[in-house]
Amino acid sequence: MKSLLLRLCFAAALLLASVSGASAADSKLVVAFLPKSKGNAYFLSCKAGADKAAKELGVELLFDGPTDSNAAKQNEIVENWITLGVDVIAVAAENREGISTALRKAQKQGIKVLTYDADAMPDARSFFVNQATPEGIGYALMDEAARLLNSEGEFAVITASLTAANQREWQKHIEARLKDKYPKMKLVAVRPCDDLKDKAQSEATALMSANPNLKLILAICSPGVPGAAEAVKQAGKTGKVKVIGLGLPNENKRYVHEGVTDSVILWNTGDLGYLTIYAGIALAKGELKPGAKSFKAGALGTFAIAGDNILLGKPFIFNKGNIDQFDF
Amino acid sequence: MKRYFRELSVVAALGAVLLGLAIFAPAFFQPQPLLSLVTREAPTLVVACGMALVIICRQIDISVGSMFSVCSVCAGLLAARGWPLALVLPAAAALGAILGAVNGILVAGLRLPSIVVTLATMVTLRQGLNLVRQGEFVNLPDSVQWFGLSQSAGQWALVVAALALLIALGVAMRHLAIGRFVYAVGTDAEAARLAGIRPQLVTFLVFVFIGVLTGLAAMMNIAQSPQVQPLSGMGLELKVIAAVVVGGVAISGGRGNLWGAFAGLLLLACVAPALTHLHIEAYWEKAIQGAIILLAVVADGVRSRKGGGNT
Repeated sequence: MKSLLLRLCFAAALLLASVSGASAADSKLVVAFLPKSKGNAYFLSCKAGADKAAKELGVELLFDGPTDSNAAKQNEIVENWITLGVDVIAVAAENREGISTALRKAQKQGIKVLTYDADAMPDARSFFVNQATPEGIGYALMDEAARLLNSEGEFAVITASLTAANQREWQKHIEARLKDKYPKMKLVAVRPCDDLKDKAQSEATALMSANPNLKLILAICSPGVPGAAEAVKQAGKTGKVKVIGLGLPNENKRYVHEGVTDSVILWNTGDLGYLTIYAGIALAKGELKPGAKSFKAGALGTFAIAGDNILLGKPFIFNKGNIDQFDF
Repeated sequence: MKRYFRELSVVAALGAVLLGLAIFAPAFFQPQPLLSLVTREAPTLVVACGMALVIICRQIDISVGSMFSVCSVCAGLLAARGWPLALVLPAAAALGAILGAVNGILVAGLRLPSIVVTLATMVTLRQGLNLVRQGEFVNLPDSVQWFGLSQSAGQWALVVAALALLIALGVAMRHLAIGRFVYAVGTDAEAARLAGIRPQLVTFLVFVFIGVLTGLAAMMNIAQSPQVQPLSGMGLELKVIAAVVVGGVAISGGRGNLWGAFAGLLLLACVAPALTHLHIEAYWEKAIQGAIILLAVVADGVRSRKGGGNT
């Protein structure tokens, strides 16, 4: 059994070596994968997908990052990788401008650079693997709210802050979608929670007592989703006031199973890591070039490219049926 | 009457807001949601009591938000490991006491300015926590929520506990020697020393005490939901300092009382739900709170110029 496995591995290795051509025969391609912070469950789940892609492609994956979200430490790690002479660097940038100098240097050394999750300056990388456009997120949230309410009734939004750029952007697309497609739905209030679950709980409590016809709370910051859910549960309005939002599966599992929260919307982080590695290797092999309109990533199929953004596509909806398959 | 004019004016403002709500948004007074909202402020009240003492003592502690987070997460982790609540509660208070003692030693022992010391501990504790938890929630066992009571019993228990603490401290500050010592040190530490009080010891104890209260408040907060967000307590320092200052406690020390701080807290805490009920845009929330604080500070300034002192 063991020898059979060994032989299979050998055969697979030979096959891969022949596929990847003469240059790869002497050494495997090395792709370095940099998260914003390496202990974070979100990035660990990205890494799971990256590992899978690396295994399929027969390349070596280096995974390192700051222990906390530390922009200076990210630069240090990239510098080390440049010295090491890796083939590809994929970065989730903590600081857009801060990281770009190091990335430009890497490009000058012939290393292929791409970003995922959070972009650097456009001239510092070839492609950005874009997990979700603001439009995609805004529309998905609004469509899901409408689906749950049969396109009718009052809802309220809990945001992180009224001034944060990404929140405003999502909010704008939610409202645009509402105006275009759901005339019978009404947005009654937008309340900030300062990214605090505790404040979201208080805000949701006040929203429900101030708006007796409220049918749904849509939280567009991750702590807002469990915060609103706890408020709905404590008000005894489970099912009467639905909760959805942009959030992380682990923080919401309990409420999804209790039926308080209907859907949690995000992207599939494993797919994000997988697509990033596939794109990085294709860049290194010269199969993916600037100006390409689409890109095929292994088992996941073909992805659209808009400019220099490789689009992961529609957000992913976590619900009772699938949320337990995700651990981040 | 005139002596408490400052506190009474805050109470009057609070009364006006509540009257306005009663007329324009009576739904605000539905018992169940109102109890929930009041319960959410109970932990803040406990920390505000501690902050009032610190400021009366002519110090400040801006590390309470970070201490609150650290105590919440540690208490949550202990509970998740199966520690009974009877042990988790004193452990949270003890951790608060230790963190407070660190501030106290640096401020009272080394005579460093409290704003710098607590700024440093605020940042250190916050970043340390980020490093360890990476923002990940702590899941609590079911026994923690409402301390195992029913929801409404738990809510009442928290509100009553916070009010009992307020009353006990309010009375102690007026009638017990240690309470008067805090005023004495805050008014003039040198005069207090000549009168036989040990100002550094009093200062140290005040910092330990706000630590204990912050630990207890953290417990009162984690009892209200099944998960602890490590960020919880972020900005708490501003909230309680604002409450205390609005309530008429002089930032220059030696003046004010807990009743005023209580009224100040209620007034500021009212703003957000009041706007929600009046269907006014949330943009106004921080602006109104800021205006209330500004008004309070200006009132204090005018008064101390007239009175020629800050007593």
